[in-house]
Amino acid sequence: MKILVCIKHVPDMESRFRVNEAGNWYDERDLAFRLNEYDEFAVEQAVRVKEQLGGAADITILSIGPDRVIEAVKKGLAMGGDRGVHIKDDLVYQKDPWQVASVIAAFARDKNFDLVFTGMQSQDRGSAQIGAAAAELLDYACITTLVSFEISGDVVTARRELEGGMRGAVRFKLPAVVTCQLGLNTPRYPTLPNIMKAKQKELLTFPIADFLNVESLAETEKMYPPERKGRGLVLEGDVNELADKLASILKEKAPALR
Amino acid sequence: MDFEFSQDHKVLQSSVRDFVEKEVKPLAIQIDENHMIPDELVQKMSAMGLLGSYLPEAYGGAGLDILSYAIVVEEVSKACASSGVLISAHTSLACDPILQFGTEEQKKKFLPPLVTGEKIGCFLLTEPEAGSDVAGLATTYQKDGGHYVINGNKIFVTNGGYRGTGILFASMDRSLKHKGISAFIVDLGSEGVELLRNESKLGIRGSYTTAFAFSNLRVPAENLLGSEGQGFKIAMETLNGGRIGIAAQALGIAEGAFERALTYSKEREQFGHPISELQAIQFKLADMYTRIETSKLITYRSAWLKENKKPYAAESAMCKLHASETATYVTKEAIQIHGGYGYVTEYEVERMYRDAKITEIYEGTNEVQRLIISRALLS
Repeated sequence: MKILVCIKHVPDMESRFRVNEAGNWYDERDLAFRLNEYDEFAVEQAVRVKEQLGGAADITILSIGPDRVIEAVKKGLAMGGDRGVHIKDDLVYQKDPWQVASVIAAFARDKNFDLVFTGMQSQDRGSAQIGAAAAELLDYACITTLVSFEISGDVVTARRELEGGMRGAVRFKLPAVVTCQLGLNTPRYPTLPNIMKAKQKELLTFPIADFLNVESLAETEKMYPPERKGRGLVLEGDVNELADKLASILKEKAPALR
Repeated sequence: MDFEFSQDHKVLQSSVRDFVEKEVKPLAIQIDENHMIPDELVQKMSAMGLLGSYLPEAYGGAGLDILSYAIVVEEVSKACASSGVLISAHTSLACDPILQFGTEEQKKKFLPPLVTGEKIGCFLLTEPEAGSDVAGLATTYQKDGGHYVINGNKIFVTNGGYRGTGILFASMDRSLKHKGISAFIVDLGSEGVELLRNESKLGIRGSYTTAFAFSNLRVPAENLLGSEGQGFKIAMETLNGGRIGIAAQALGIAEGAFERALTYSKEREQFGHPISELQAIQFKLADMYTRIETSKLITYRSAWLKENKKPYAAESAMCKLHASETATYVTKEAIQIHGGYGYVTEYEVERMYRDAKITEIYEGTNEVQRLIISRALLS
């Protein structure tokens, strides 16, 4: 079983974001980066498949971006990936999802991966297009927003999270691209011995020019914070009044309480 | 000169940080109140590899470097100083002397159970009458055939409550002063070892600080660490390394308190503005952060010196001195920024203030650190 896991290195979402000088992305300076949360589910699921198969799987961890993304790749290796691939591009933030998916597909095309795992979206751009577009380019099945995953032979049964609190049950054959949603699994911590072992694992670097052969279809022209909608609401009154006011606001604003 | 962590150190830092955030932080108040770290957490920390960070893979360790160890202790101590010192005393004071001075047989026998957490390590040096004056040990030993027979008392034994593996120092002849001291690897579950008490303390209340009495404790001859009379040197060199662990612990405590103070100052509004807009608070934050950053640099540098087998005794004394004083200063100021809330348990900075103080005392008081530093300058 050959498995590819596509991951992204994204800023810690608790960071204070500033728009960059060109006005088309955030300023990366002074930001702490980490492995995209949804991609952690992807790595974890890939490692579980390998464990289920008694180790009879080979997991490649792929990330596109500047040198800092190697940290995310190494984390994937420490979680159980077998080899890392870094496609180097200092300006990846200027590439649109179509180009990124094309690069992944160009890398994967002749390598006969049975399964491609990725997060359902990145926490920074959040287009949720990469998995689906790469699947189309590779002519693989594509199943998105997975919250469960079971494999038997070359058949997968899985559940998808749908809007409105519904679930969908799906069955599909390999090869496939799947995108992972919160709730699929609890990612393991890379242990210290595994962080050490990851240092010895193969890590290949390629320039993006080796795989990029399409123009962008949609460029981000401008990035900006939305206008502030005023400050929070301060309720006043005694405890009973406060509770009533709060309950009515929650009923109005939070669909789950209706 | 490179002041940035390698990618591998960043992976380690973020992994340990995630672990601490989910597994340690939620328990910190409970650990302080119950005066113990739940066994389950100790097991999780060992499963994560935190108990064998820089021990070689041949003995079950992770095989990482000393800087990785400092990062581990720092990250854990940000949330819970008691858990931080468990790792620090275990690694620096029990595993390290076995690694540095032990025979191959001793390393193979004693290190793997320490890495897995089956045994928690501790260091038995201090006695009621021998603290900073190490050469004044009253615990004695005599050779008896294939054994050494040890009698005496030890106090302030961090991790002693686990009754695991201890490095015990005793004198063959008190008149020989430091030349008469030898070190032994002992099983604290053995016959002849009595656990007298677990001290109640100001801070690091989750950490066991125990007193032991030894009456005719028989230690097999092969458990002598180093050679007879080498004990004082083993103790001093072990403490040199241990100070890096304590500096990392102090640094973590300071950072944990600083993060809370910074967040609180931005959220707490008085006079219609966040208090972070007041210069009185801004200057506090600036001073706290400056001391933290200098502590960080000197601690990491000491770790680097030890890793690269360069002399580091004065540097480790300096990092322990500076980081511990930073910890007491920063935690005190963190309470001040929180005002009355800072005095309340729920806000956690009061615990950090209590936890910080010990870092100025153990593994050599800061007065002893100043002696070490000035002797290095003047000798």
